[in-house]
Amino acid sequence: MQKKSLWKFGTREVVYSAIGAALYAVLAIATNWLQIPSAGNVSFRPAVAIPMFFGVAFGPIVGFIAGFLGNIISDLIAGYGFWFWWDLGNGLMGLIPGLIFLSLVNYKDIMTILKAELFVIIGVLVGMGVAAISEMWVSGADINTVIVGNFIPAVIPNLINGLILVPILMIAYAAIVQRSGR
Amino acid sequence: MLVTWRYRFRNSLMDRFDPRARWIFSLAFLFAATMFWDARFLLFFFLIGFAWYFSGRTAWRETKRGWKLVGFLLFVMIVVNTIITGGGAGGVVPPGGLQVWPKGTTIPLINWHFHYGLTYERLWFAICQLLRIGGISAIFLIIPYTMDPRVYGVTFRGLGLPDSFAYSMELAFRYVPTLARDFGTTFDAQRARGYEIERVKGGIVKQIIRIAPLIVPVTMNSILTGEDVTNAMDLRCFGTRPRTWLSKLTFHWQDYALIAFSIFLLVGGIVTKYAFHTGNFWVPDFWLRLAGG
Repeated sequence: MQKKSLWKFGTREVVYSAIGAALYAVLAIATNWLQIPSAGNVSFRPAVAIPMFFGVAFGPIVGFIAGFLGNIISDLIAGYGFWFWWDLGNGLMGLIPGLIFLSLVNYKDIMTILKAELFVIIGVLVGMGVAAISEMWVSGADINTVIVGNFIPAVIPNLINGLILVPILMIAYAAIVQRSGR
Repeated sequence: MLVTWRYRFRNSLMDRFDPRARWIFSLAFLFAATMFWDARFLLFFFLIGFAWYFSGRTAWRETKRGWKLVGFLLFVMIVVNTIITGGGAGGVVPPGGLQVWPKGTTIPLINWHFHYGLTYERLWFAICQLLRIGGISAIFLIIPYTMDPRVYGVTFRGLGLPDSFAYSMELAFRYVPTLARDFGTTFDAQRARGYEIERVKGGIVKQIIRIAPLIVPVTMNSILTGEDVTNAMDLRCFGTRPRTWLSKLTFHWQDYALIAFSIFLLVGGIVTKYAFHTGNFWVPDFWLRLAGG
């Protein structure tokens, strides 16, 4: 049996990166109507759980591409343009949970799910932190503005979505993982 | 569910450039523009950015959504951050300065004396932010409307990305309409079983859990499909040798000119900033004369 590598990027990883990215983009557009109650024009994005889950299930590179490329495609479809730093932040949200990929055996196990949740939290904080702080460099905003205007509005919904949906996806994935035979 | 790309061929000046050259120009512009806070340099980048934007010949009705997002970002950064809160300026504007309302103002009826610390220097900084963010936005906002999604993979391969990453990108674009169709099918199937997405009530947590019957089936089906695609690609020896591409990109003279201009922008910016120490925040005299300074 071939030893798994955390940073392997073979055929399987190519395909799942593409699927993850396309899924993130489509679900981001499809669930865009979900608004935060009494928070103006801020929409939730349940689809953010996709790069996190794909990182956990297929590795950090798959998670990174699912988030990075998925955000690019989503913005292309919506017509928002290309925002490299936010794409990078979404990529990191997928990469960091993927760091525990090799240690996972049973995706239904409670300790596995808790470990994944911990790395989801770290991924969201790091990913959105990088994206928000980059606004200081590009726009000249100060740290208070990026924290209040960018970081917090991005972190809170992404944390909620990730912590709720990633375990659900992991349990569903556990039901089909044996079928793949890999 | 219909997912359509916003790109269409417009026979514009921008369409004549190779997408690789366009990406090189866009990234060089971004790095060069973010080196300066001097309004004279930022005005140059602003004009270049919008000249590039208008060369794409897009209509306002096509791009207004993107500009609304940019407008919102500008409002937060400039009006809220720099002007209203008086914070920010990212360490760019020196402390102190000529105040716009040095004596403050008294709110009538409640007789509250309010001292607002906005300075003319910060107002000028707000203008600099507008020029910088506006120019960068013009460069990147135009991309979805003027770059064919079918050539993204071969473009990034041409820019040096490995075959596997570039092919992953191309496959992702290919998968978007398929997954959109699958999502639509799942949505209809769930609705036929009494699932009412329009009436997802309750708090945010409950609403997100109720979204799961849409997200989980689509995700798991796509993972199962992915296994079949992986096997098909392995059987065709994907990854064993460098891949050929269906599209072939060729540079023409205008692409070399654009790349040369991009190098000029970037190198020129670096030399100007770090060798000549020019390009830092600067307030013109006429602006300070408005303050009586």
